[in-house]
Amino acid sequence: MNGAHDLGGMHGFGPIDNEGDEPIFHADWERRAFAITLAMGAYGAWNLDQSRFARECSDPAHYLSGSYYEHWLDGLERLLIESGLLSEQEIAERVADLATPAA
Amino acid sequence: MPVLTAKQVEPELRRGSSTRMAVDVDPRFRVGDEVITRKMNPRGHTRLPRYARGRRGIVVRDHGVFIFPDRHAADGLKTPQRLYSVRFSHHELWGPNHDRPDVTRAGFPPINASIFLDLFDEYLESL
Amino acid sequence: MSKHHHNAPLPDTVLRVKALESLLIEKGLVDPEALDELIDTYETKVGPRNGAAVVARAWCDDNYKQRLLTDASAAIGELGFSGRQGEDMVVLENTPDVHNMVVCTLCSCYPWPVLGLPPVWYKSAPYRARAVIEPRAVLAEFGVTLDDDVEIRVWDSTAEIRYLVLPMRPTGSDDLDEHALSGLVTRDSMIGVGLPQAPVQQNR
Repeated sequence: MNGAHDLGGMHGFGPIDNEGDEPIFHADWERRAFAITLAMGAYGAWNLDQSRFARECSDPAHYLSGSYYEHWLDGLERLLIESGLLSEQEIAERVADLATPAA
Repeated sequence: MPVLTAKQVEPELRRGSSTRMAVDVDPRFRVGDEVITRKMNPRGHTRLPRYARGRRGIVVRDHGVFIFPDRHAADGLKTPQRLYSVRFSHHELWGPNHDRPDVTRAGFPPINASIFLDLFDEYLESL
Repeated sequence: MSKHHHNAPLPDTVLRVKALESLLIEKGLVDPEALDELIDTYETKVGPRNGAAVVARAWCDDNYKQRLLTDASAAIGELGFSGRQGEDMVVLENTPDVHNMVVCTLCSCYPWPVLGLPPVWYKSAPYRARAVIEPRAVLAEFGVTLDDDVEIRVWDSTAEIRYLVLPMRPTGSDDLDEHALSGLVTRDSMIGVGLPQAPVQQNR
């Protein structure tokens, strides 16, 4: 698809930001997003090409403003919902629960 | 479906998931053939980037037969297709402007470069 | 810090990860110990030292180098490196006339068994956008300037093949053994946006 992921030749992104000696993950949520994506890939409800396509389906403006593991997370959420393993509602409810400190 | 356990992680990663297929498909192209990529704008998944559609290149390597990802992403079917390495000149993909001295001053030095893409059989037509 | 936008996730990203992980564990779809094992593998076991060992072996053993250039997956497997995101490998040899560099413009495909997980810049829009259209400018940003008559080959690895660059052995490294040589091989030199370190820099 002609999505925002198809970046070859685009202008305007500026210089390459090379951090040098960078860590493997930059935050704990990246570790967790990476690991649940690989674990669910091994589960086998979808194949790797379906998982790539799920990442490409993001809204273009959203894709360009997000980071690599945010793309992974978006794709994983889409696949979980499409495959019926989780519903949009239960994810939203869990996010709301987590956002509210326990009484 | 199987839930991945901690013990399975190492062997599972080591095995990987090659999409190479043990089936023979006659190659439509040979190393050295001149080809042109199809002009296509599929709404589904594809590995042919926009910048290399409708461009002329030369087949430099036949990688063998792999699962065709465009179809695999669409409905999970594993259809075999040959994958070739195709070489494009920088000029063919991006035009002559990057060689102009005035453009050089804007940050594009003269270029002696080629770009190589791994392309599936049905992305290609004979020239 | 603001230029490192990968460090600034959308406000709900952290919560969404926690939500998905907790739901998947509750439903028995993922095993928390497997998650820890996956993270540990790529944080501590798999990384560019693997690729450096392959390069150093090729510099020392011409027969190995020939096997590496003809059937990279098998030759890399000889050193014990194989598997996910490196199932089908090709090695590209740099020479005085040809410089190879690797990108994936569509996602961020990268040879995990030999280089580990890709750095942020490799996955970033500027690198993916620019490597194919202005490779010399990109190389210059990494401090690599090549003569105009050196042909640059950019490998956009958007399909099933993963690439490792075999950089040129640094001059003045004749006396070094394989282990010392592997210490000169940088990750960036195996992506093709850097050169191996010079031997003098190894003296402490």
